[in-house]
Amino acid sequence: MAKTKLENLKLGIFVVLGTALLVVATYLIGNRQNMFGKTIPISAIFKNANGLQNGNNVRFSGIKVGTVNKIEMINDTTIRVHMIIEEKVKNHIKKDAVATIGSDGLVGSMLINIVPGEGKSAHIELGDELQSFSRVATQDMLNTLNQTNENAALLTQDLLKVTRSLTQGKGTFGRLLNDSLMAKDLHQTIANLKHTSSEANKMIVQINQIVKQLDFENSATGVLLKDSISGNKMRNVISHLENSSLEIEKMSMNLNAVIGDIKTGKGAINYLATDTVLVRQLETSMENVTEGVKNFNEVTEALKHNFLTRRYFKKKEKEKKMELEKIDEQTP
Amino acid sequence: MGNTSTLFKGMKEFFMEIGDLSHFAARFFKEVLKPPFEFKELMRQCYQMGNRSLTLVTVTGFIIGLVLTLQSRPTLIQFGAVSWMPNMVGISIVREIGPVITALICAGRIASGIGAELGSMRVTEQIDAMEVSGTNPFKYLVITRIMATTLMLPILVIYGDLVALYGSALVENLKGGVSFQLYFNTVFDALSFSDLVPATIKSFFFGFAIGLVGCYKGYYSKKGTAGVGVAANTAVVMASLLLFVIDFIAVFISDIFYEL
Repeated sequence: MAKTKLENLKLGIFVVLGTALLVVATYLIGNRQNMFGKTIPISAIFKNANGLQNGNNVRFSGIKVGTVNKIEMINDTTIRVHMIIEEKVKNHIKKDAVATIGSDGLVGSMLINIVPGEGKSAHIELGDELQSFSRVATQDMLNTLNQTNENAALLTQDLLKVTRSLTQGKGTFGRLLNDSLMAKDLHQTIANLKHTSSEANKMIVQINQIVKQLDFENSATGVLLKDSISGNKMRNVISHLENSSLEIEKMSMNLNAVIGDIKTGKGAINYLATDTVLVRQLETSMENVTEGVKNFNEVTEALKHNFLTRRYFKKKEKEKKMELEKIDEQTP
Repeated sequence: MGNTSTLFKGMKEFFMEIGDLSHFAARFFKEVLKPPFEFKELMRQCYQMGNRSLTLVTVTGFIIGLVLTLQSRPTLIQFGAVSWMPNMVGISIVREIGPVITALICAGRIASGIGAELGSMRVTEQIDAMEVSGTNPFKYLVITRIMATTLMLPILVIYGDLVALYGSALVENLKGGVSFQLYFNTVFDALSFSDLVPATIKSFFFGFAIGLVGCYKGYYSKKGTAGVGVAANTAVVMASLLLFVIDFIAVFISDIFYEL
């Protein structure tokens, strides 16, 4: 009898423990699906559910706050996802929070991530609809990747061409890489540059010494360097010089035009410069003029001796004499 | 010709067996709700089948969890998915391995025990004596045993699941440095009612099948003392086979209800 009682006790313990385990497991599973405790329903509209299922987790800033309750197709591009979230996080989620569909790791199950909003909006309430952001679908990603691959292929082709040209010594870089003479030249150039720079260095030292020796206070250099009035004057001079050079330029242009006219035109100067016949004619005319003048002189001389005009000429000589005497008196 | 007749004979025996078993099950359902109820005997049988199987289920469950985790680790490490170990092991143990292994262990231990016990009672004409003395042997021997297995197996399965998960967690803790808290958190995160409910309901059917086959084979054993051995042996074989058939049907039904 005692044995039976002990057996019954053991059996009771076993059954109670087993049932308790079942209850605990049920509670743990149910609790994780927000079956117990206070919850509020909210929803979000997506274009693509991306394989989301009832019971998938809802996370807010990475913390599990609820589960997907129902997925409802409104039309071919609108899917409403109903979620239940713990009431205690209601005060942390704002109305402008954004719901996105993501996955738990690379191969994990799908979930909804609620990204916090700006923080200025009010808290969510029962039955609110959150904004949603549809993530890039795998197919879109693959399409982009395909485009990138094609571009990469083109790039590698171009690179191949470039490297071939380089190895064959074509172009500046190719020559730089392959031409030993050029390398020697470059080496020499660099050596020269080095030498030049050292010379320049020495020169700068010498100039420094000269500059140190300069009397900035009293010398013309000092005045040139320091005197602002002289500077202004210099500036004026330079501006005048500039104006003058402009005027000279204009003048030279005019001269050029005149010369051009002379060269091309039919004026007297052009004839003088170019027509040899005219020159001869002119020469002949001049000879005739000279001869004419000689004859005229002779006529004038004859007139001087003529009784009609002799008086006039004498009067002229008298006046001349008078003028000469006046000049002699004035000079000391 | 001889082969064909043997085949027909075999098929006929198979269908007759199924028919007898169905008849036996129908008799159980007919008599289970009728008084008098043999509570004391039911308690005794529950103790015998539940508590006495506990050690066996503990050892088996622990080793199964341990081995499953150890064997899966290299592959999961190759995929870089070793953090999914609790999810994988948790779901496979709760959904399938826990109930089936526990049921098979019980089929081996309980079905053979019942078959041998009832068989020897039949052979030694104890059952006939009970009938003569006015006690309903079916109520006293069969219903109590079938009820005991049906009620005890789900509890054993829950217990076995826990031990197996503990074995798995131990390996993860020792090899992967995963804390027990994180392990069980991940397991319960991965589990849902669609895993636990069908498995628990299935366990009742497993228990029923084990008790039914054990009692049927023992109750109708023949051919003297040799029949006792045959009854025990065939009880185990038939119960194990029936377990897989029930498992197969259960998966289909749970798929309809839960879209696994």
